[in-house]
Amino acid sequence: MTEASETPARATDVVIRLVGESGEGTVTLGDVMVEMFTQMGLDIYTFQTFPAEIKGGTVMYQLRARSAVNLSPGDSVGILVALNDEGFSLFGSGLSADAILLYNSDEFTPPPDPSRRDIALPITSLARTQKEAIRHELSGEILKRLPAPVNTVGLGALLFLVGADLEPAEAYLSRVFGRKGEPVVRMNVAALRSGADHVAKQVGDCPLPRVHAVPHESRRMMVTGNQMLSIGAIAAGLRFYAGYPITPASEIMEFLAKELPAFGGTMIQAEDEIAAISMCLGASYAGSKCMTATSGPGLSLMVEQLNLAGQAEIPLVVADVQRGGASTGLPTKTSQGDLNLAVYGMHNESPRAVLACSSVEDTFWTTVEAFNLAEEYQCPVVLLSDQSLATRRSTVPPPDLAKLTVSERLQPTADELRSGYRRYRDTPDGVSPMAIPGARGGIYTSTGIEHDETGDPGYTAELAARMKAKRFRKMDALRDKHAARLVRLWGDPGEVDVGIIAFGSTEGVVREATEHAQAHGIRVAHLHLRLLAPFPKAPVEEFAARCRALLVPELTWSGQLANWIRVNTDLRVVPFHKDDGLPFLAREVFERILALRDDCTGSNGR
Amino acid sequence: MTANLATSADRLAPRDYKSNLPPIWCPGCGDFGVLSSLFKALSECNLDPSRTVIVSGIGCSSRLPGFVATYGFHGVHGRALPTATGIKCARPDLNVIVVGGDGDGYSIGGGHVPHAARRNPDITYLVMNNNTYGLTKGQVSPTSMVPLASLGAKIDPKRWKTTPFGNTEDAINPVAQAIALDCSFVARGFSYKPNQLAEILGEAIRHRGFSLVDVFSPCPTFNQDQTDEFYRRNTYDVPADHDPTDRVQAFALAFSDHGYPIGVIYKHPQKPNIVDEQEALRRRLGGHATLDELIRRFA
Repeated sequence: MTEASETPARATDVVIRLVGESGEGTVTLGDVMVEMFTQMGLDIYTFQTFPAEIKGGTVMYQLRARSAVNLSPGDSVGILVALNDEGFSLFGSGLSADAILLYNSDEFTPPPDPSRRDIALPITSLARTQKEAIRHELSGEILKRLPAPVNTVGLGALLFLVGADLEPAEAYLSRVFGRKGEPVVRMNVAALRSGADHVAKQVGDCPLPRVHAVPHESRRMMVTGNQMLSIGAIAAGLRFYAGYPITPASEIMEFLAKELPAFGGTMIQAEDEIAAISMCLGASYAGSKCMTATSGPGLSLMVEQLNLAGQAEIPLVVADVQRGGASTGLPTKTSQGDLNLAVYGMHNESPRAVLACSSVEDTFWTTVEAFNLAEEYQCPVVLLSDQSLATRRSTVPPPDLAKLTVSERLQPTADELRSGYRRYRDTPDGVSPMAIPGARGGIYTSTGIEHDETGDPGYTAELAARMKAKRFRKMDALRDKHAARLVRLWGDPGEVDVGIIAFGSTEGVVREATEHAQAHGIRVAHLHLRLLAPFPKAPVEEFAARCRALLVPELTWSGQLANWIRVNTDLRVVPFHKDDGLPFLAREVFERILALRDDCTGSNGR
Repeated sequence: MTANLATSADRLAPRDYKSNLPPIWCPGCGDFGVLSSLFKALSECNLDPSRTVIVSGIGCSSRLPGFVATYGFHGVHGRALPTATGIKCARPDLNVIVVGGDGDGYSIGGGHVPHAARRNPDITYLVMNNNTYGLTKGQVSPTSMVPLASLGAKIDPKRWKTTPFGNTEDAINPVAQAIALDCSFVARGFSYKPNQLAEILGEAIRHRGFSLVDVFSPCPTFNQDQTDEFYRRNTYDVPADHDPTDRVQAFALAFSDHGYPIGVIYKHPQKPNIVDEQEALRRRLGGHATLDELIRRFA
């Protein structure tokens, strides 16, 4: 939802959607536009959806640039850049009134539509012309490998359309292509200008969207969810990572392969997900902070070892970057459908915590929380992210490291090691000191078999009940100490007609819908859960007590969060769920708020 | 490299490696012999119990870590090798020994053996091979043998509870498989020759790299064919002139058709190992990275 009518003249809010053949520069063009807008100090939010093919298929890259806080990729598109016909037919809808279509006229001609302004850009031939111009200056071999500057033509056209200066882009091109020599820089600068000039001739004096630079006191980060998760993990003390490639989590492993050794850490690409989590359990037992990251299919393979981590009380973080569909499903699309697996996925029962990252900025802090809880309660923590968040590029303030606290697991004191150390000592909060191999006097066998306080196997009913209670007591302690902190409140304070409970990557969109509803005079509030398990019962019930009706929007087929709330409370909730691979639009959530407000007026929603 | 006690004067006796937990194995189980050989090898190698971890999966033999007075990790079925790899890579200063059975190591965990071999961490893997599933009471295992024709041994293919009409599957030759995988140390032992086994285990522990020792450890409860007597008759010592660094010779021994050779069969001493490689990488790149600098790269 754009609020152009309500914002001051120099405010910026543009939504640009790029569609084209995967592997042919659509993503590069999007990334460069993001870079340009970031330099202007604008707040960026992107959404990318990819084909599952290795090469080919249509990729869609939507980016929204705002001068104010940016909470979603935008509901309606102001500028659509269609590099091919197929992209246009797949993603040509959802345009705002008076939207601009910039299309590659070398590829196709769209059917006319009076609600759009169409601008033809012969992007391929303009690029080829610029390459021809420097042909005589380059050797045959270099010339053969040099692609025609198609993206740069598109960049020039787009920058002109939003009224941005070309100078920063020229500086950028000199920087990027500088090492390829002066002629290549000159070709790109000329391509940039030819794109801009070509568009200028066609638009005449018709009104265009405008972006305006926003001054910022400090630099901000431009970072994706997967990158932020990796940085958060390092900040929390991650020193051992093992993983197995899976979309859309692989980027975390690739990032850590590059960065961890310099922090004195180790990254291993395991032979499968079971080996990955096993390596992590071994390394954690040996004293390292560990993580593996995967997606739903991989998490289902790890379930047995998650239970060992719960039973043997070994700290461990497992990040699940959720993707769409069951089985192979929709590997490049988004979903929140692994919530059930995260909270219920185990044989019998063992303690575990589940957290969900809610935005790129929050991903840093929630990842740190995941490590801290794993260490503090010696348990596995499933950290949920998803494709839309993982690939989202966002401008965020750099995390304030002064606010960073890092927890370490409880270790036995010298006294305890001297006399009768018990690894699984029954304590008031259930947390027992964990000896690290190498500690004299700390010798024990970590085991998944039911055991007494020393770790020796034992199967009496009394022991089984007592040790299970000890392990689960840790989750009560976790909830009592942390649950209130691990939720976030938005919207109106006090009594409201509609309360929204949501989790994970939908936070921005739900906030935007909430703000929009408030602007329409609806009394509405939003509780966003970072902690899913153990269930934050008190904060949820406290929130529900001031809401006439509760709406639970989520990207699942069956309403998994709504059901999880019902299992843990007596609350009545109105589910709103879809699981088609795409995130919510703010408008969709707003419409539900509106409908629920109308339904519940005069009746108690609880 | 092994984490030893400070001096040989501190050397512990084999019995000092014994925990206060009595083994739960059946009377006559081959694993008793393996355990006593392991005690001897630990003592002979002078390993520091506080810096030694014994890792296992699930099965009769996988209960072994609890019977040894070192650190132990008794995990889930079939995942001892990657667990141990994680321990060793995170803490190269620890001695890491993996123990388990033929089902744990060659069936459910079989997929991890090639990767342990190619990573070659300094880990000793001791497989107590009884040719059956003992803990689950007598099902066919991947080493339940089709006997060598030349031995004339009688093995009832219908013996196993899951092969009532005969065994329709061939067995794994774990030694030949390990040589094919270029596992950097491959040996075979027999639990009824405990002194020889202790020597083999000692050599495996001292070997810098991944060592696999397949030990015939008969199950008197569920396998009345491959008994201690059967193995006494059908095993022989690796010939004194065998060169374990010769892979072709090693293969020839692994496929010997007149019994099962006991001893060190294959060695690849100079094979690179993941732990050293990762340590070198950390030394080359480590020590300079800061969180501030990492964050600044994105700003």
